[in-house]
Amino acid sequence: MSDRSSVAIVGMGMTPMSLTPGGTPLLLACQATAAALADAGIEHGDVDGLLVGSSQGVRPDRLGVGFAAQGGFGNLRLLEHIEIKGATTIAMLQRARDAIAMGEAATVACVFADAPLVAGKGSGSTYAHSGGNVGVRGLERASGLLGSVPTYALMTQRWLHVTGTPADALCAVATTARRWATGNPGAVYREPLDSDGYAASPMIAEPLRLLDCARPVNGAVAVVLSRRESVGATRLRILGTGRDHPVRRRRADAESWFGGGRRAVDDALAEAGVTRGDLDIAELYDPFSIVTLALLDEYRLTGDVPAGAFMLDGQAAPGGALPINTGGGQLSGFYLQGMTPLAEAVIQLRGAGGDRQVPDATVALVGGIGGRMDHHAALVLERAA
Amino acid sequence: MTALTTSARQDWLLEPALAPAVDGDAIRPLYDAAARGELALPFCADCELPLELEQQTCDGCGHAERLWRQVDPRGIVHAATMMHRREAGLVRATDPYVIVDVEMDSGHRIVMTTLTPTDATPRIGTAVRIGFRRLGDVAIPAVNLETE
Repeated sequence: MSDRSSVAIVGMGMTPMSLTPGGTPLLLACQATAAALADAGIEHGDVDGLLVGSSQGVRPDRLGVGFAAQGGFGNLRLLEHIEIKGATTIAMLQRARDAIAMGEAATVACVFADAPLVAGKGSGSTYAHSGGNVGVRGLERASGLLGSVPTYALMTQRWLHVTGTPADALCAVATTARRWATGNPGAVYREPLDSDGYAASPMIAEPLRLLDCARPVNGAVAVVLSRRESVGATRLRILGTGRDHPVRRRRADAESWFGGGRRAVDDALAEAGVTRGDLDIAELYDPFSIVTLALLDEYRLTGDVPAGAFMLDGQAAPGGALPINTGGGQLSGFYLQGMTPLAEAVIQLRGAGGDRQVPDATVALVGGIGGRMDHHAALVLERAA
Repeated sequence: MTALTTSARQDWLLEPALAPAVDGDAIRPLYDAAARGELALPFCADCELPLELEQQTCDGCGHAERLWRQVDPRGIVHAATMMHRREAGLVRATDPYVIVDVEMDSGHRIVMTTLTPTDATPRIGTAVRIGFRRLGDVAIPAVNLETE
């Protein structure tokens, strides 16, 4: 059996994260891939494995395995489109690492591109119009559950009720994310935000305000994985990964909006041989403020302190016990699904975080969730000495 | 008279474009029962566990056949939100509206809005009774807040 722990992220490329329509997934993917290859110091012909991720749903321009031809690749030994909703990014890295360890490919590029912003429509409107009119989703939409905000609002109301968490913990998540984002030139929201500014933001579905929700962008991120010491200027080793796909039932006698997923983190930490206390940063998938709270609680990342109190006490903020979503996350940074937390972990572990750099960040937890917190993926990354 | 009939058929909340496509739908038995003013929900045909609306195989016993059965139209509020965002072209209401996740006495959890407009979000645990709205040609379960 080959050694998986020597596989490393050796290159990363990002497009600007755009709040305005423009750019197709293909164009964005080409830009990010070119930047990632340049970062690793290799060329298209050096890549023998390509994994492609795209937003779920049928879009005519969504990125697929056709990217091998469109993107200028040749002679690939590994080519797959991977789709497990918000867990896609980590699933791609797991697949790439295992393929390299097993000798299926030596140098694997993973690329994710999305362009949800289209001319003439706000992103909220785009999401409100999607979902169709069949099955359970059709019934929900016929009951006014339009877009994903009211879904997460129901989750929020239930979670706050069951855990006894005050609603101002949501505000603490949003303002903490913004504190980090003020130091991130790539974040879409960088102006300082206090609780008054949060309270002034429009209510969408109680208790979620506009600033409790992620900001979708058009953009792409690509990373290159290899275990050849000669490739790449910096090497971030993938020490461990884990997945959990809890199936909760919408039925009496158990919670159905949240619960399950911890095994993904437990398994990733166990494989990495590190504990929660060894983590320097945690980059989680945070499409809504409630998700940060629910995941901190589910993943047991705040010790004996309840997740809400941890956030309200500033322990996830700069200088706190566990810096979380250090680029502003998906709330203030940018929402590019699973690539948002991964990209920030790479930046931090490379020491390239500038004004938001966490001193001596060496070990990072990266999370990904999909669906209504139905799919959990975790990754432990370490800066190679 | 014609105008009155038209407005009586118009849902208070949504535009008829959002009416479910009932033909061939996996949850059509719910709509057929709703058209008769009854609430029908799926159960495992073998062990009678309440199933999710699109669930086919029972997670309790592994049986793959389900039965739709009329249930008591009563439940409690499992979660509720006041929806402020009203998408133009989809939402007719001019005020925020309530969305409730109802836990039926049968054990199922179903998302509904209210039968009529309200400005009060019901608290978790509130007992509710289910009635039916009409959206386009389709009857949709909805929370009747006034009867309990």
